[in-house]
Amino acid sequence: MIDQIVNQIKLATDFQTNKRILRERILTDLHMPYNNGMFKITPELLAFVTTWPDQVLYLEDTYQNPIQIQRQEFLMKAQAHYQQAMNEWHQQHEELKRIRKV
Amino acid sequence: MKNLNESVKSRGVLLFAFNSSQVNYVEIANRSAAIIKKVLQLPVCVVTDSQEQLSDIYDSVITVQSQNGNVRFDREGNTYEWRNFDRFKVYEFSPYDETVLIDSDYIQFDKSLLKLFDQPFDYRLQYRMQTPKEYNCDEMGPISLPMIWATVVLFRKTERSKIFFNLVGRIQRNFGYYRTLFGIPTGNYRNDFAFSIANIILNGYAICSEQSIPWPMTTIEENIESIATKGKFFIIKYKDRADVVSRQNLHIMDKQYLLSENFKNLVNEIINE
Repeated sequence: MIDQIVNQIKLATDFQTNKRILRERILTDLHMPYNNGMFKITPELLAFVTTWPDQVLYLEDTYQNPIQIQRQEFLMKAQAHYQQAMNEWHQQHEELKRIRKV
Repeated sequence: MKNLNESVKSRGVLLFAFNSSQVNYVEIANRSAAIIKKVLQLPVCVVTDSQEQLSDIYDSVITVQSQNGNVRFDREGNTYEWRNFDRFKVYEFSPYDETVLIDSDYIQFDKSLLKLFDQPFDYRLQYRMQTPKEYNCDEMGPISLPMIWATVVLFRKTERSKIFFNLVGRIQRNFGYYRTLFGIPTGNYRNDFAFSIANIILNGYAICSEQSIPWPMTTIEENIESIATKGKFFIIKYKDRADVVSRQNLHIMDKQYLLSENFKNLVNEIINE
């Protein structure tokens, strides 16, 4: 009995560590290539593009290059990309909570 | 810099596999290649000096003469033979227009690297590394510049890439000079150092993010007892604890684990999914 408990404790996982690693993985997933640039899709970026009045604009990408954006096209892709990655994060986060003790 | 829209290009992965007296790197490459084929769905080329244990999974095999050995140290201070020279020759070895050069211990469980090919670049390098416990910003020495990781390199066959790899070769041949110039205390040659120095020189002796892979590489430094899949996660068990990580690319330093029956079974499980 005590051996079993000791083994279980040994295999106890650190939830905060696993949570951080999952977040990093999702931040990787949130990167989206567009028109030769690479963008990390964030709520701020989505909000900015949504409210921009013109159809064409230039945004700084991850590599600090100005990239020409077709606003509507970019927005549709970015929203879909963001939703997919965030859904995945939510799903895996819930799963992680369930298996926090191996 | 090449335009992405020029033509349809060949793309593939290149692995180096040189057995040492202690580690069967060819077998590790065989297992790594099987996962690459399944996950990245790209052709795989191997550069080796030993065809005996090669599996038939490779699309092309480049045989070269045996190299001299180097040494590396693990976390416990043990010394291992390590045959890491001549990595710079990848530019001439690679049969592909677009190449992913990966160390065979960097296991490709996701497709994130492929996103980078949607962009114009000559080469891309791994600037950041993390372990499950911490972020790691390695430098080449206490008063030296940041180190990048040569574990994974993406490159296109362009003039700038050619200059880059030639420069890495020059640094390897004159490592004593360059390590003094860049304040590297260790005399042991590492591709990480040579690639870092070449990148700094080629950027006009400056640190530049233009060539970086924009996310960190996850490295498992500890000795592993087993890895099991659970849905979209891997449960990595060590001697006295465990991590649960989302399925993602893992740089596994424990070579004995990569040669274990448990890892062999994991590879089979992944490729049969």
